[in-house]
Amino acid sequence: MTEQDIIELTNQVFEESFEIEKELLKPEMNIFQDLGLDSLDVVDLVVALQEKFGIKIRNDERLKTIRSLGDIYNFILALKEENLSLNALHKQE
Amino acid sequence: MKRVVITGIGAVSPLGADVPAMISGIEAGKSAVRHMDGWDQYIGLRSLVGAPAKLVNEKAIPRVSRRSMGRMSKFSVQAAEQAISDAGIDRALLTSGRMGCIIGSTMGSAESLNETFEIMIPDKDLTKLPSTKFFQCVSHTAAMNTAQYLGITGYVLATSAACASALQAIGAGCDLIRLGKQDAVLCGGAEELHPTVTGSFDILFATSSGYNDKPEQTPRPFDAKRDGLVCGEGSGILLIEEYEHALKRNAKIYAEIIGYHTCGSGVHVSQSSKDSMAACFRQTLADANINANEVDYINAHATATIHGDKEEAGAIREVFGDQAPVSSLKGYMGHTLGASGSIELIASLIMMEKGCIYPTLNLESVSPECNGILHVTEKLTKKINILIKNCFAFGGINASIICKKDIK
Repeated sequence: MTEQDIIELTNQVFEESFEIEKELLKPEMNIFQDLGLDSLDVVDLVVALQEKFGIKIRNDERLKTIRSLGDIYNFILALKEENLSLNALHKQE
Repeated sequence: MKRVVITGIGAVSPLGADVPAMISGIEAGKSAVRHMDGWDQYIGLRSLVGAPAKLVNEKAIPRVSRRSMGRMSKFSVQAAEQAISDAGIDRALLTSGRMGCIIGSTMGSAESLNETFEIMIPDKDLTKLPSTKFFQCVSHTAAMNTAQYLGITGYVLATSAACASALQAIGAGCDLIRLGKQDAVLCGGAEELHPTVTGSFDILFATSSGYNDKPEQTPRPFDAKRDGLVCGEGSGILLIEEYEHALKRNAKIYAEIIGYHTCGSGVHVSQSSKDSMAACFRQTLADANINANEVDYINAHATATIHGDKEEAGAIREVFGDQAPVSSLKGYMGHTLGASGSIELIASLIMMEKGCIYPTLNLESVSPECNGILHVTEKLTKKINILIKNCFAFGGINASIICKKDIK
């Protein structure tokens, strides 16, 4: 999965789950102030991201630091890289 | 005690998205009952008919409000908007704390409850549940969603008494206004059609199952060939208001609510009781301080179950005799359960306004056990000054409301 795939799939979540127009989906957008999400939406965002990327992130502390759409892209990218190095580690073993 | 009048009405029904659509459907003698495609996949579900309502323009409700709404809450919000606009109230009343919102339903959204279980049960996994499912499933979903959407800050209550829910909501609103606790209350009921809902009646053999291939011929209230009820969906909302409050703003008044009563049968959870129904009628008449012979029209609950219709006809016969015309609207719209009291009261208010009585659709041959009351089988021109609307629910719950047109 490329970085562009991550951006596209994340943007799909915002379009499908929160009915946000594509044009607004830029990395610098604050998901609360600019895109209008609230505490309930954050729960749904986690559910939708888990579903979209096949990941488990509900108890990940880093979620609390997410403010912008770019933060989400980077978070998923970091997860992907962690996963890759984990896989590499398993292979070495 | 203060007096209560009805100043606004709104409905989403199986016959259409507003009150005029419902009335023109009834006047055309139209049945909204359909064969429900896909229901035959349920093992043991004998009744494959229903009266669905069409959800129109739901995206007009902003996402942040809509996300916590199941189907029934969307119906309720749309009907409430109609009632508010019909009443022409100043929107400042909504946020004054002097206006309440009481909307009943049998339970929360059946569709959302089903979706919740489908998500949760297979893997016993709660992490896949969206945050808003809870708000769609709770028993007060229609009341709280409607109140939140409109910004209502007065009393917010949800009556939950199955098919008597809407009348209890109107009655509770009426009591609050009578006591001076609220100046106006938006009240009524909401319900949605789902195989689990029809199924709950079907396992008790209370649904119609002999007309799956000719759905427009069922339900058949009071008819010799009736074989059970048909579930429907929608919402009926009324704006009720303190009389002086309505007078001050020169509001259009449909009728005054002069009597209300609700009671339990204390007999059986599912079997209707004639004596208990008659007791409810008598208490409602006493509350209205009128005699039975002053009632010009009886809008019956009559869902077309074998036992329920017989008991209701018997109770009407005992209290009102055979002079007051009686009709049921279930043949047109099915049984909209928790919404039926308000949807059918609204249709009755239109009959009162127009000076006519709509007949019981599908009543071709009165069942001998339902005889002795004045059935309306063709549209009747008649001045209605006083009407009574009845609802009887599982759990042995009875409710009746009496409305009067000529207000002094």
